[in-house]
Amino acid sequence: MKNFYKRGMLIIMFLLAMALLVMLAMGQAKAASLSTPSLFYQQPITGTVTDINGKYLPGVTLLVKNKQYGTNTDLSGNYSINANAQDTLVVTSIGFKDVEIMINGRSTINIVLEEDISSLKEVEINAGYYTTTQRERTGNISRVKAEEIENQPVVSPIQALQGRMAGVEIVSGGANPGMASTIKIRGTNSLRQDGNYPLYIIDGVPISSVPVESNSLLSTSGIDPLNNLNPANIESIEVLKDADATAIYGSRGSNGVVLITTKSGYKYGTGLEARIYTGVSTVPGRMDLLNTEEYLQVRREAFQNDGVEPDVNNAYDLVLWNQDRYTDWQEYLLGGKSEVTNANLSFTGGDENTSFRLGGSYFTQGTVYPGDYDYRKWTGDIALNHLSKNNKFRLNLKINYGTDRNNLVGNGNLDPSIILLPPNAPAIFNEDTTLNWEEWGAAGLTNPFEGFFNTTSTHTKNLTSNVLLSYEIFNGFKLKSSLGYADYQSNELWKLPARSYNPSSNPENNSFHLSTGRRSWIIEPQLTYDKKFEKFHTEFLLGGTFQTNNSTLSSFQGSAYASEALIGNLSSAESILNAKSSETEYKYAAIFSRIGLNWDKKYFLNFTARRDGSSRFGPNNRFANFGAIGAAWIISEEEFIKNNLSILSFAKLRGSYGSTGNDQIGDYGYLDSYQATRGINGLYPTSLANPDYSWEVNRKLEAALQLGFFNDRVNLGLSWYRNRSSNQLVGYSLPYITGFTSVQANLPATVENKGLEIELATLNLDKNNFSWRSNLNVTVPKNKLIDYPDLEQSSYSNTYREGYPLNIALLYDYNGLDPETALYTVKDINNDDKLDFEDRVIIKDLNRQFFGGISNHLSYRNFNLQFLFQFIKQEGIQTNFQAGINKNVLSSVLDNDRYQRYSASFLGGKSYRNVLESSFPYEDASFLRLKTLSLSYDLSSKILDRVNLKKAQLFLHGQNLWTITPYTGLDPESATSDLLLGNLRSITAGLQLNL
Amino acid sequence: MRLLNYTKQLLIILLSIFTLSCEDMVELDPPSNQLIREEVFNNKATVKSAMTGIYNELFQLDFSNGYRSSITTLAGLSADNISNISTTNLSRMEFEQNEISPDNPDNLNIWSSAYNMIYITNSFLEGINNSQELDQDFKKQMDGQARFVRAFAYFYLVNLYGDVPLILSTDYRENQLAFRTPKAEIYDQILSDLEQAEEELALDYENGERTRVNKYTIRALMARFYLYTENWAKAEELSGQLIAENGTYELLNDLNEVFLANSKEAIWQISPIGGNGISTQTNEGNFFIIDPIFSFFAAIRLEEDFVEQFDTEDLRLLNWIGYNESKDAHFIFKYKIWNSTEYPIKEYSMVLRLAEQYLIRAEARAMQNNLTGAISDLDIIRQRAGLDLLADLNPTIEQTELLDEIYLQRRKELFAEWGHRWLDLKRSGRSSEVLDDENSLWEDTDLLYPIPETERIKNPNLTQNEGY
Repeated sequence: MKNFYKRGMLIIMFLLAMALLVMLAMGQAKAASLSTPSLFYQQPITGTVTDINGKYLPGVTLLVKNKQYGTNTDLSGNYSINANAQDTLVVTSIGFKDVEIMINGRSTINIVLEEDISSLKEVEINAGYYTTTQRERTGNISRVKAEEIENQPVVSPIQALQGRMAGVEIVSGGANPGMASTIKIRGTNSLRQDGNYPLYIIDGVPISSVPVESNSLLSTSGIDPLNNLNPANIESIEVLKDADATAIYGSRGSNGVVLITTKSGYKYGTGLEARIYTGVSTVPGRMDLLNTEEYLQVRREAFQNDGVEPDVNNAYDLVLWNQDRYTDWQEYLLGGKSEVTNANLSFTGGDENTSFRLGGSYFTQGTVYPGDYDYRKWTGDIALNHLSKNNKFRLNLKINYGTDRNNLVGNGNLDPSIILLPPNAPAIFNEDTTLNWEEWGAAGLTNPFEGFFNTTSTHTKNLTSNVLLSYEIFNGFKLKSSLGYADYQSNELWKLPARSYNPSSNPENNSFHLSTGRRSWIIEPQLTYDKKFEKFHTEFLLGGTFQTNNSTLSSFQGSAYASEALIGNLSSAESILNAKSSETEYKYAAIFSRIGLNWDKKYFLNFTARRDGSSRFGPNNRFANFGAIGAAWIISEEEFIKNNLSILSFAKLRGSYGSTGNDQIGDYGYLDSYQATRGINGLYPTSLANPDYSWEVNRKLEAALQLGFFNDRVNLGLSWYRNRSSNQLVGYSLPYITGFTSVQANLPATVENKGLEIELATLNLDKNNFSWRSNLNVTVPKNKLIDYPDLEQSSYSNTYREGYPLNIALLYDYNGLDPETALYTVKDINNDDKLDFEDRVIIKDLNRQFFGGISNHLSYRNFNLQFLFQFIKQEGIQTNFQAGINKNVLSSVLDNDRYQRYSASFLGGKSYRNVLESSFPYEDASFLRLKTLSLSYDLSSKILDRVNLKKAQLFLHGQNLWTITPYTGLDPESATSDLLLGNLRSITAGLQLNL
Repeated sequence: MRLLNYTKQLLIILLSIFTLSCEDMVELDPPSNQLIREEVFNNKATVKSAMTGIYNELFQLDFSNGYRSSITTLAGLSADNISNISTTNLSRMEFEQNEISPDNPDNLNIWSSAYNMIYITNSFLEGINNSQELDQDFKKQMDGQARFVRAFAYFYLVNLYGDVPLILSTDYRENQLAFRTPKAEIYDQILSDLEQAEEELALDYENGERTRVNKYTIRALMARFYLYTENWAKAEELSGQLIAENGTYELLNDLNEVFLANSKEAIWQISPIGGNGISTQTNEGNFFIIDPIFSFFAAIRLEEDFVEQFDTEDLRLLNWIGYNESKDAHFIFKYKIWNSTEYPIKEYSMVLRLAEQYLIRAEARAMQNNLTGAISDLDIIRQRAGLDLLADLNPTIEQTELLDEIYLQRRKELFAEWGHRWLDLKRSGRSSEVLDDENSLWEDTDLLYPIPETERIKNPNLTQNEGY
């Protein structure tokens, strides 16, 4: 309760501070926006523009027909324009049908616009260095808009993309707030795990997508580098996939590009938006484990089967522990509720020439684990756009700042395997809330919550800023430069108080400190030239990139603090140990260009090229060239289609081919160097060096068809792609006899990712205040190692198989239970009386067979309902069936002759280990999940007018509400291990107000 | 047209700026926490640091650190002196049961850490021998120490695995597909390294620390080498040289002082200073001692049949063996310090000590039929243990009986040190006879550990030992 109060106070303080800021800014803005044109003598005409549901439409353009002037509606949909009584108003807005309205002497005209689906194709899409539209694009770009992201109670915006984009695989990093998700765009291109990160670009500034190091519970996945971004401040996220879209990113485009555009100021008047939601999250999944009675029965039978007498050493749970005690360790560990709260405030304003946006947010989320821990994030952002009166000079400034503090239990051992403790295990805590050492110790065990009073506090700060200056030297010829600076800092303090540990071992108060920093600046000067020759339209772009990244890492340990309260205060530590630091630098320089051509908006050609230099490679291999060609043909513009196929409202054929690269490999890998040993005053070599490695090259081919039927009420997109990634840059695996297990090198191997992406968007119903839209995306990916010369002779001879995916398991052939011993057996294929890799003949594909999402958007009057189902077809693993040992297991082992007899013996353990390496533990882990569900209600305009609000919305949001799956592990999304937890179930409710 | 010209000119300017500046734009200095190998070996101070690095890493690397995956623990389990308390650690159980599977992680740890050390020494040897900046005397001192450590690592590899790849360079391209080299050739290499080091090194310990290698350290390992290769005369000669050096080395009468840092009995020790600062004591102490309160940490016990072999008045039983009631187990108590961070460090991990040299000479003499000489060497060990002298009890003992007695004393003296018992059984051909009784799963092919499976996966030229 106290905590809740504290949080509430914080939110109120924050809102007050923001309001103050906004009031100050408003005073300024009002002074600036008094310049409405009043050149004409006609009468003023005022009114509002709404859609058919009565929602006010801001930013609608109203022009007086045949006269060269007009206006826009402001944020509340109001307009005011001077015109003659006989004039006609032309009202246009993207996404709506144009209307012409005769004034006929009226002074108040309220206008209702009807939606126009086909004009959605004209929405601008960010392609990085240039923009295009859905209609004209030659490359494959997926886009997710603000409204799909902003209400999701997630820390990183990447998590909000799950299930929404074809070809984009996102797996949650874990259940703790701030864990990094993994994102793969069109499959696994690199043999290296960490060589598959896409390129992140926030407002033109590249951000490292590699998760940030941590010692805390986040360490398994790392910290998501996008945590500090406010998901509600994102205008759109574009994912670039094929060669045409990514080749302009050259050596960094191989794994796709994620472009994040934050919100800009609003040109049409001032407005204030406040949004707040709050709710709870829980762990949705449970495994079906044994209760005490069943568990003990299994144990007793196991000893009987083995012919072994249970004693204190081998069966403390039978001999020593209370036989009636029962703890549901799943409930104990994962049964908690985490609160989540988010408050957002933004203020925006401006006119045609200058606009700005100021925003701030607060986000907090708890954890599901026992104990009082939380995650808090504060963000602030500024956007400023200016266009000079003569339309020649343009400035766009974006600054995003975010800081968060992640307080977690600082116990690395608090992993989910605690749920497998014997259900009759003793209590964790004594009555006085200290850890119970005695009972656990009596069994020769340490308390599984050892370290429970440890805490970690991870504090990160992130600044991303970019300014784009552009000047039109003469008609169509622009000189631009983008300057970006990003600074990411993470500081972590891990406190280990003595009371977390068994007091009789004389534990000390210790602390671990870890700081990481990532600083980068980038300058990208560009020249662009656009020229139209009647039907022939050309766009040229030439640019350069100069980028430097500095990464720092330092860590040390403070030991033997005099008291718990002093932990972290280094001057009271007895000694500082294990101090380590490193600083690495990465430099990158490139020149790039683009030529875009189109004839009559019917035939499109797009050439992109880049020459890249990267410091990650040895001096001989620093430069390389990349390029692509893309083409599109809008068939529906052809007369023969127009005349003969009236149901086909749009048809485009599109294709692209080109090369991109991948330079994601550690810095300085080419240096043969020595580092300090962990012991005092020593130096030693820590890795093998190869001065000659160079880029991975990914050649991408795509063919696609975009179709619109029935006036674009049904839109179908089909894309087929084939990416071949060769010259694989890997930690080439070596036998230990070489001194180490790997060396960075290029591998003569080719990995192919092939697939089909289907996107279907339909407007199912749109009448009588009711509309219903659906979106479906399905991806059928295929990953294959197509070529590997001399695979048999290489160190990968028993990891990969030519013609199979990279992500495979080579397994024994399960051969049923031994009729005599009733233990698992696997086939000894070559009959040499031993089991080794030669007997692993079963090749199991561990990739997703297909995946996708179905979203629906229904609106009726003031109600809006959106929901997204995510589905994946795949296999997963379930290993908790070793019945008889001192661990809890799935209840399905009871009297089930699929499993071996209960046994706690050495041989039983051995056969279990063998069967784990067979196809036996694999099961279907496909699932269908209601990923998000969002219901909102907008207050009607009548009420709004009365309380002087532009908009008021109440909303309910659910995340991961319902999952259907045959998988028996905790979360089918992370089915590579039955104990991984990826997604929390959240329910939130909130309110949005616009002034 | 004018426009085209403009563009052309601009393009040319931009391109030339770019090409000129690009090379520089991606130039980097090495990072602050790394030293380029060549630079390490251009400067005496950094070469010394690299030498210290080798000694430090001996305490980090599994095979030599005396901890869970060390030769002391694992080869100990393979023989009949020690066993696991908890049967749940499958990997260590496999060593105890002589049923090591090729994918046993501890087995891989021995192998990988030994080869890592071999890489470090190879890199060091290449570094100093290619360096133009170092004087000859200095080079020799450094060369000898690194050669010794390399020979030491190969000595254990060849004894545990039989034929193993002989890696003498840092070139992974050449080494990654290396075949197993016959045992005899490995032995030749060990001998030539030791002989060269013996010539190069000084007689004194650098800084007086017995963690550094000197001429006597080399001779001590050479004495063992000749014992194992049954060159009895040489074994007798070299061990004799150490025994004769009684100002530097002597047997300590107080058994509780034998394993202290720089004890007079020590010929070579590994200092826990190479640890990472948390545990500054030996792993043998931390791992083997069963603390009366923290008995639940206990992993290793002494086998009861072994403890029963000691006479009740044997000082080694009284001083080097402890008993824990709650586990009802005897434990190794040669090292006395358990879980402490006190500094300076009091105990070092013992690798070579004088008692072994007496036992080497006793055996070498016995094999050469110098039974009196053998008895007198053996009696020095017996006397120190508080036992009656053999010269009094049985002066006319037969050769075979005497050898049995030497082996028994080796077992009692050197238990839980560097797998002596396992290797003694093996070289004397007694493994099968002794271990068959103890272990129903025993097969003669268990004498050699399996080549780790992942190594064979990565290097198809590696064959597996018989029986795996």
